[in-house]
Amino acid sequence: MSSHRRHALHVFGALSGSALLVVLAGCSGSPQGATSLEPDAKVTIEVWSGQSDEAETLIEGLADEFEKDHPNVTIDISPGASSTDDLLQKLSAGFAGNQYPDMSYAYGSWAGQLEASGRTLDIRDEISKPEVKWDEFTAAARGTAQPTGNKVIGFPAVVDNVGLYYNKTIFDKAGVAYPTDDWTWDDFRAAAKQLTDSANHIYGYGYSVSGSEETTWQFWPHLWQNGGAILNDDATKSEFNSQAGVDALTFLRDMAVEDKSIYLDQTDEKFAELFASDRIAMMTSGPWQLSPLKTAGTSYGVVVLPGTNGDHQTVSGPDVWALFDHKDVNRAYWATQFAEWLTSAAQDERFNVALGNLPLRSSSAASVSVETQSAEFPGYDVFVANAANVRQTRPTSAGYAALSVAIGDAISAVLQGEGDPKTSLDDAAATADAALAK
Amino acid sequence: MVDTTLREAGRAPGPMTPDAPGPGKRRGLRSNLSGWAFVAPATAIILGLSIFPAMWAFVLSFQDWDGFSPATWVGTDNYANLISDANFWNAVKNTVVYTLMFVPTSVGLGLLLAVALNRRIRFIGFYRTAIFVPFVVSAASTGVISNYLFSPQFGLVNNVLRVLHLPQQGWLDDPHQAMVVVVIMSLWGSVAFTTVIYLAALQDVPAELLEAARMDGASAWQSFRAIVWPQLAPVTVFVVIWQTIEAIQLFDLVYTTTRGGPLNATTTIVYFLYDKAFHSLEFGYGSAAAYVLFAVTMVITIGVVVYSRRRGQEAF
Amino acid sequence: MAIAAPAKRRRMSPWHFVLFPLAVLFLVPFAQMLLASFSPAKDLVTFPPPFFPSHFTVDGFVKLFTTTDIMLWLRNTVLVSTAAVLSNIVLCSLAGYGFARLRFAGRNFGFFLVLATIMIPTQLLMIPTYILFAKLGLLNGLGAAIVPWLSTAFGIFLMRQFFLSLPVELEEAGAIDGCNRWQIFFRIVLPLARPAIATLAIFTLLGAWNDLVWPLIAINNTQAFTLQLGIANFQGAHLTDWSLVMAGNVIATLPLIMFFLFAQRQFIATMTFSGLKG
Repeated sequence: MSSHRRHALHVFGALSGSALLVVLAGCSGSPQGATSLEPDAKVTIEVWSGQSDEAETLIEGLADEFEKDHPNVTIDISPGASSTDDLLQKLSAGFAGNQYPDMSYAYGSWAGQLEASGRTLDIRDEISKPEVKWDEFTAAARGTAQPTGNKVIGFPAVVDNVGLYYNKTIFDKAGVAYPTDDWTWDDFRAAAKQLTDSANHIYGYGYSVSGSEETTWQFWPHLWQNGGAILNDDATKSEFNSQAGVDALTFLRDMAVEDKSIYLDQTDEKFAELFASDRIAMMTSGPWQLSPLKTAGTSYGVVVLPGTNGDHQTVSGPDVWALFDHKDVNRAYWATQFAEWLTSAAQDERFNVALGNLPLRSSSAASVSVETQSAEFPGYDVFVANAANVRQTRPTSAGYAALSVAIGDAISAVLQGEGDPKTSLDDAAATADAALAK
Repeated sequence: MVDTTLREAGRAPGPMTPDAPGPGKRRGLRSNLSGWAFVAPATAIILGLSIFPAMWAFVLSFQDWDGFSPATWVGTDNYANLISDANFWNAVKNTVVYTLMFVPTSVGLGLLLAVALNRRIRFIGFYRTAIFVPFVVSAASTGVISNYLFSPQFGLVNNVLRVLHLPQQGWLDDPHQAMVVVVIMSLWGSVAFTTVIYLAALQDVPAELLEAARMDGASAWQSFRAIVWPQLAPVTVFVVIWQTIEAIQLFDLVYTTTRGGPLNATTTIVYFLYDKAFHSLEFGYGSAAAYVLFAVTMVITIGVVVYSRRRGQEAF
Repeated sequence: MAIAAPAKRRRMSPWHFVLFPLAVLFLVPFAQMLLASFSPAKDLVTFPPPFFPSHFTVDGFVKLFTTTDIMLWLRNTVLVSTAAVLSNIVLCSLAGYGFARLRFAGRNFGFFLVLATIMIPTQLLMIPTYILFAKLGLLNGLGAAIVPWLSTAFGIFLMRQFFLSLPVELEEAGAIDGCNRWQIFFRIVLPLARPAIATLAIFTLLGAWNDLVWPLIAINNTQAFTLQLGIANFQGAHLTDWSLVMAGNVIATLPLIMFFLFAQRQFIATMTFSGLKG
């Protein structure tokens, strides 16, 4: 009898005891961060890479190398979230709970918001050092790393632009001529219509209607080519609901609703998959598709975006390695060093370019053999040349994220047949203006 | 709440445990301590992880907070904005539609399946397992399976339609069909719950009563209506409440399949508040929505419990 | 209807015509998952999709075991689930009995509060809980996944209902014999509770094993990933490898199914005793 009771009391005691320990351990608080720089002190930095598959493997290998070169530094690297999109969520939850990393991959569209959080480092001093060669980065990349013109919140991670991929297998089967660099959007529309074969589930074009940044930024080239602008000059009011915007959205809507030549993707990934499996004939996307397409063995080609009156301008969405402040000088130092090393010319070629992305720096661009890369990834040279078509930058203010959601929803609704372009864009502009005003 | 202590067996109040004082007197401290010792660990964890955060979230619902900037106090603005938020009402509508489709089907189907499974024929173990297997499949896996099965290009369902020369459907890509798919997969995964409960209840129906009825010449349907169904009433109340609460809180399956789309057709109230809190970074607004949901759930539950108490059913 | 008349084994019951198609229908999605996991990845994105794979292959599984940390995730999930089940059994039996049979100040109110927590949507609690865990230093390890499952309102409710259904006489007899509350609980009541405990174990196991959304937010450390987290990652990449995804899901589900097959009869029997019927 008493053994049962004692047993029960033991269990009970153990449980409450361990609970108490946990609480105490947690309440002990974190040690105060180092205030004076000791380059040899042992440091652990946490990195969220936002990568997957081979990119993740590659960057983990590079982190190992950096650790070998700097034995006092430990790099705790992981994807950070199940998809790059989810990183923003993780970061904001992390800010709320004081559990954010030292360095994280971030979409350029988040840069303004991240700066506004007050949690980022400001590496202006660091980048002014000549050995960093900050000016070798493209203007768009530098602009994204310094979203409001004040703090520099990190190093550029990826530069890109959007071009037109076409699936040769489908084109050949339908007997349609391949796109050229002189195409207009009307040529594009006509071809998409010819290529669409709904009985066999084949579409001419694929467009994401998930309402995310993918939905939004594919719209900007149309807007810009029509002469429109996203925001007014001091970024306080939306201007995408101008006639240029309405025309652009009407064009897409007609293709989707009347021609029914667009596969409306509820996610951001499916249309690429379907393109790779020969179910979608054309997609507008960037260099990151080159490596997966190669793996899939799809027969494709790349040209610049179709144009309006000879204007083939496109959109670029540089991403950044954002650096975060933990009030610890040593961590800040090493996180910055790692980011700098990763984006230096040598590593840029081994990581970024090796994955089919465009070189971040003009020096790596010069040394990277475009011919070799294009042999490796057909179409690479098109993207390199297309950089000349990036004439406007995507806004980087803190309100951009909310604007993107507002217009993304509007585009998504209109393409799926709900609402007319003018009203939807006006509503989106109103919502966006409210967010910009905050 | 009905007193369920050892006193319940119809006896007069009296000391039932050696350390309880006499009737009517204050329970001794020792008796209280001992009672608390039993319930404290489990209760402390549950309340600590729900009540405290819930109160914090309540305060949050009167603030505007993006997760890292300092929170600003906005009073009842969040609630007022909810009332005029078309997306919120859309979420409410979707949740109501889902609940109305899901709960009666789940309860009815559960009962039918229980009746069918309540017999000793060969392979009955196999049949019961087949109905229950989907229950152990996680929401993530069910989502993956749904996406695959109902894929308009590569899924089995459209493939079958194609072979039968029936028109292909958009399923999860079609705003008018997406919720139906969610209901179907939800039922697939959870009807086992109601089935098992009903099965247990059916097996508790006293055999003698049914024998007597059969000897009196009653048909199967008549015995069901007159004997079995009244016995099932308390279970039914419980199951309806439980499934309704689950239905109102639908989130996991939406998250793993449609993420609230297409065109917000599958956005439920919980998905709406999750989206507001974690994507739009409006934690105060999301908390307000959550509280509205909580209030509605409480009202429904209390309403059903009170109603059934009045009619003599006891489920809680 | 409670117990069918002895089956005439020669003649097949007509119920088979109802039950067999139903069983097949319920198993189809799972069968698809199995088939897909043994298919070559290319097959799964062909149009028109074949009903059966062109050839059976274990490529998906090979890729799963060699390129992902599935065994680590499996280990983590087993740890989390075991801790959850054991903790619930201990804590919820104690609490369920306390709420059912003992009299103490605040009992009814306490139980009402516990029940009320069932109606709180967990998403409401996520951010405050996240911050609470951050302050307690529990984030990013398996602790984040375990602590919410240490005890559940459902568990308390289940055990309470069960204890209510036991005849009071047994405990009264114990009281007369001079046992105190603890002794009554451990020697008389608890041994009878095996079916209820089995039910609680099964439900807790299912819940902890399949928990997705909370660990998704709370755990970034890949070494502490559970199966559901690991699988959720698969769909993030650009070109989803369906055979890999399906293989992962098969591994994540198989242990539960085997467990259920094993405990199936026990599970249904327990529902009879659990007093849920009022």
